[in-house]
Amino acid sequence: MIAASEPLIRWDWVRDHFDDIWQRTVEHVQLTVLSVAIGFVVSALLSAIALRYRRAYGPITWVAGVLYTIPSLALIGTLVVYFGFGNTPVVIALVSYTLLILVRNIVAAFDGVPPAVREAAIGMGYTPARRVLQVELPLALPVIVAGLRIASVTVIGLVTVAALVGSGGYGAFIDDGLNRFFPTPIIVGTTLSVLLAVVVDVMFVVMERLLSPWRRGSNPLRKVATS
Amino acid sequence: MSIDVAAGGPVAISLRKVSKTYPGSADAVVNELSFDIAAGEIVALVGPSGCGKTTTLKMINRLIEPTGGTIEVLGVDQNSLPAHELRRKIGYVIQQVGLFPHRTIRGNIGVVCELLGWEKRAIAERAAELVELVGLDPMLLDRYPSELSGGQQQRVGVARALAADPPILLMDEPYSAVDPIVRERLQDELLDLQHKVRKTIVFVTHDVDEAIRLGDRVAILGAGGVLAQYAAPDDLLRDPASEFVSAFLGRERGLRRLSLLSVADVELSDGPTVDIASSVGQAVATAERCGSAWVAVCDQHRLRGWISLATLKSAAPEAPLASVELLRLRSWVTPSTPLRQALDVIVTSRSRLAAVLGGNDGDTLLGFVTIDDVAGGLEA
Repeated sequence: MIAASEPLIRWDWVRDHFDDIWQRTVEHVQLTVLSVAIGFVVSALLSAIALRYRRAYGPITWVAGVLYTIPSLALIGTLVVYFGFGNTPVVIALVSYTLLILVRNIVAAFDGVPPAVREAAIGMGYTPARRVLQVELPLALPVIVAGLRIASVTVIGLVTVAALVGSGGYGAFIDDGLNRFFPTPIIVGTTLSVLLAVVVDVMFVVMERLLSPWRRGSNPLRKVATS
Repeated sequence: MSIDVAAGGPVAISLRKVSKTYPGSADAVVNELSFDIAAGEIVALVGPSGCGKTTTLKMINRLIEPTGGTIEVLGVDQNSLPAHELRRKIGYVIQQVGLFPHRTIRGNIGVVCELLGWEKRAIAERAAELVELVGLDPMLLDRYPSELSGGQQQRVGVARALAADPPILLMDEPYSAVDPIVRERLQDELLDLQHKVRKTIVFVTHDVDEAIRLGDRVAILGAGGVLAQYAAPDDLLRDPASEFVSAFLGRERGLRRLSLLSVADVELSDGPTVDIASSVGQAVATAERCGSAWVAVCDQHRLRGWISLATLKSAAPEAPLASVELLRLRSWVTPSTPLRQALDVIVTSRSRLAAVLGGNDGDTLLGFVTIDDVAGGLEA
């Protein structure tokens, strides 16, 4: 139990641990970026297969769904048995959590391209590769980025849990605080991980906006009289 | 199957025994279709749903590959070059327009030029040119498609199809998603545009009136993708080749033909006309001779107005006609008025005839047109 006299947060601890906080931030961001990046590459490949061979979509999302439902601690624990402590089991676990979110979003993004747009592109003489790159991808990108946003925010939360197997990040503060019945690092770790999630979320929202200038056409001042 | 070779001019598109059967289906969607489309003509493909008209259109630019027969485009087999290269030479307009939402109007119009490797500046210039050609405000060039109305989007769709100046334009029910008023305007614009650009246009529609209005020739397809008749609209309406065609054209065939003919196509009748220099008595005599309850009053063949017989009879017979007050004639048409509209003027006029006005100032009385004249026009 925590002593009643202990304050929730001791600012002098925070002041003394700036270097630690910075290091944990770097670790947290690294783990997140690495997991989401690998997850995205794997998902892109799986999505390409699912888009090409429609029948594969069911099985792919089923497997990704099963991975998604395994409790994070249990999955990381099992992987530690095979890969030992450290980043490897954590990254594998985190990647497996991103798959369902990313595959669904990428497939939905391309499915969302209006059939008339696709037909017009083919009818005007686009080659398949050029059509995908210059017409379908730009239209799908905002939805794909929305998927990356959800995946990143989810992973930022999960990285905190991963500290239990010694992978660093903000979770290390929480782990430390829990072991010593010392609330300050717990609060610092929690607050920073929420803050990071919010910052990343906003970043992706801005990116979505920038990638789809045409969607801002709803501005009534630019509306043209119909004819 | 008769092959109706288009009159005069080179053939732009030639279909020979073209068939399409989908795998797993015994029935052909299009069955041994053969006909020629002359360069510079608008050919409307029309027929009930399931007649394969859209399939036929899409086989021309190979969006659908035929399972039998050959299609020649501008004298070469369409398979002699890769499908995407063929398509860049054929403009394509579809019902849902399919503009690229992520590109501005300028970008959308320039798409095919881009594919053909034009320089950026040339593309921008061409886009500006086309926006005006299809009657849009150049201000719209920097807008995105979502900012435009349906009618404006469809005009951009036509501009995009014309951008690389392809000799052929395929249009797949382009106007069926817009409201009737806009549709009529777009149809007029297409005809105007065709005057300027003279493309070979293949136009799919399910609307007989649209086919008749736009087509230099109309190909009526029947169930199972067979050609029921291929003829100029007037010939089609006057002389349907089969029960099917006549049923498809509908009960108002005669009226539809009237909209194709104009007042200039019929013989005009004489009517009760007097010169303003005549006396009232002469005017009365003219009216009675014609069995009319009124007379039209002209000044050197220029129509000045009309007077009813009753008014004339209340005046002194020797009085000059100029002393009687003239009324403005409302039931008049011009030589270019479609007969269908002239008929409307005639049946709503009290005297059952319409004055035909022409000349430089549009006030010279050329004669009169009656219901009999209109009916005579249909026999011609």
